[in-house]
Amino acid sequence: MSAIRLRDARIGYGDVTVVQGVDLTVADGEAVAVLGSNGSGKTTLARGLLGLATVLGGEVEVLGAPVGRPRERGRIGYVPQRHTVSGAVPATVREVVGVGRLARLGPFGRLRPADRAAVRSAVAAVGLADRLGDPVASLSGGQQRRVLVARALAAEPELLVMDEPTAGVDAASQDALAAVLADVSATGTTLLVVTHETAALAGVLTRAVVVDHGRIAYDGPLAEAGVEATTDGHHHPEGTGLAPSRGYRLDQPRVTTDGGR
Amino acid sequence: MEVLEYGFMQRALLASLMVGLVAPAVGVFLVQRRLSLLGDGLGHVALTGVAIGVLTSTAPVGTALVAAVLGAVLIELVRARGRTSGDVALAVLFYGGIAGGVVLLSLAPQGQATNLEAYLFGAITTTTTADVAVFGVITVVVLGVVWLLGQRLYAVSDDEEYARAVGLPVLALNTVLAALVAATVVLSMRVVGLLLISALMIVPSAVAQQLARSFRQTLYLACGIGLVTSVAGTTASYYTGTPSGGTIVLLAIALFLLATGSVAVREATARRRHRRRAEVHAAHPHEHGAGCGHPAVLHGDHVDYDHDGHLHAPHRTGAGVHYDEHGQHAAPPAGTGGRA
Repeated sequence: MSAIRLRDARIGYGDVTVVQGVDLTVADGEAVAVLGSNGSGKTTLARGLLGLATVLGGEVEVLGAPVGRPRERGRIGYVPQRHTVSGAVPATVREVVGVGRLARLGPFGRLRPADRAAVRSAVAAVGLADRLGDPVASLSGGQQRRVLVARALAAEPELLVMDEPTAGVDAASQDALAAVLADVSATGTTLLVVTHETAALAGVLTRAVVVDHGRIAYDGPLAEAGVEATTDGHHHPEGTGLAPSRGYRLDQPRVTTDGGR
Repeated sequence: MEVLEYGFMQRALLASLMVGLVAPAVGVFLVQRRLSLLGDGLGHVALTGVAIGVLTSTAPVGTALVAAVLGAVLIELVRARGRTSGDVALAVLFYGGIAGGVVLLSLAPQGQATNLEAYLFGAITTTTTADVAVFGVITVVVLGVVWLLGQRLYAVSDDEEYARAVGLPVLALNTVLAALVAATVVLSMRVVGLLLISALMIVPSAVAQQLARSFRQTLYLACGIGLVTSVAGTTASYYTGTPSGGTIVLLAIALFLLATGSVAVREATARRRHRRRAEVHAAHPHEHGAGCGHPAVLHGDHVDYDHDGHLHAPHRTGAGVHYDEHGQHAAPPAGTGGRA
């Protein structure tokens, strides 16, 4: 079975098309990087899979069901492109990560001991076991991002979608994230990671889908994606601005006629 | 106590006890969702319900409940359809609600001007026995729903996009929350008043979130603060002859200022102490290290040096070696992690 299947998909917001003509099939257990520059449409593509952007045409199926239809809950994990967990009201790491378990339960189900154990192990997996009862606001920015990763892991998802998980995160946290994702991938979870830079996760992600001007420009092995690390000083608005972000450049993008079926 | 000898005061105190407990239990989710003024708007809408009740000689509490819940559901549907026009749609609904209420009430026979003020700002003499019964049912239902769905309401209020992505029923949960707000508004209409209820939903939460560490703590603390200010304000209004709603809200705001002030003082004190000690150590004759004479203490992942009874954690900065105080590790100011 394929975890993700798009056929001639057109995705956008309201009436505005952002990506179109997308044919893409991701098999169960694959680890895919979705690459592209700012404004290329890569985030919209991922959001379309999650029901956060509108499918304007074609077919989009996730875990065997069309997006938007009710599906079995709790099978998708999502790490949004957000630096911090910024609620107005204080919340502990345990409370934020506990939300990840909720979708697995019925409409009125409460967290049971097994759920609490899953929360603890997800928090331990991102290296924050000793911060379980601390307010999230007392954590550093990088640690808060790891909390959001733990929230997605706590769901024990079949498909894990991450939007720019390495942006604005220091090198040590990036390495920790790569280790976590390697473990998750080893359990058979399908990974779809939207990212500017592949260097930190190159050991985990095997396939690259490059989005350019709203269309898929390349789909194939990550190692041959024709992208190379550059230090062009390109500023990413969502970056911390503390260090020059590593951008990447497309060298003669190879356009494939088939999105890899 | 003299205050308990009168039937109207017993009913007013019962009503204030219920609204004091319930309003913050709902309000804390509104604060988290950054929708603090929803209660205010639904109070406006409820006024039209009150007017319909007065005009048709029906119990106004019942008609207000219907109007407020309908308004709440309508608001969520408008919000779900798109945010661009939502803001304006809300304004139309809210001010339509209060305008409709005022106009309809003016059509009622034998002049309702004094009644209007009681509905808007609360009055201790107006709670009937039937009101107390309705309020009791509202209290049980609202607290029951919060107990049952609290984690989900938190999830949706905290990160609606994530909740949508993983398949939580976002629209249903938002509508439930809005309906809870509507019910709470009606619960408040005797003691606190329709224009002031939003304050009793929001201010106790604003106090609690400065003191609590978790969402659960905030919720419980806010309910406690709401309960105390509501009952105390109602009692005070008996002796001072002031409107109960305004008295309660002023009490709550006084607590808010007290909490904000004490947190600010605590943080300023911690900063000053750190700066003062940093000055002492700027003139330090040596860098701490092996054999410097100060005992080394293993502290988590690093070594501190015991220096006149407090712990120093040396780390290099651009300006040289800087010492953090880790001796006060037991109670670091929230968010600073012990570093200035």
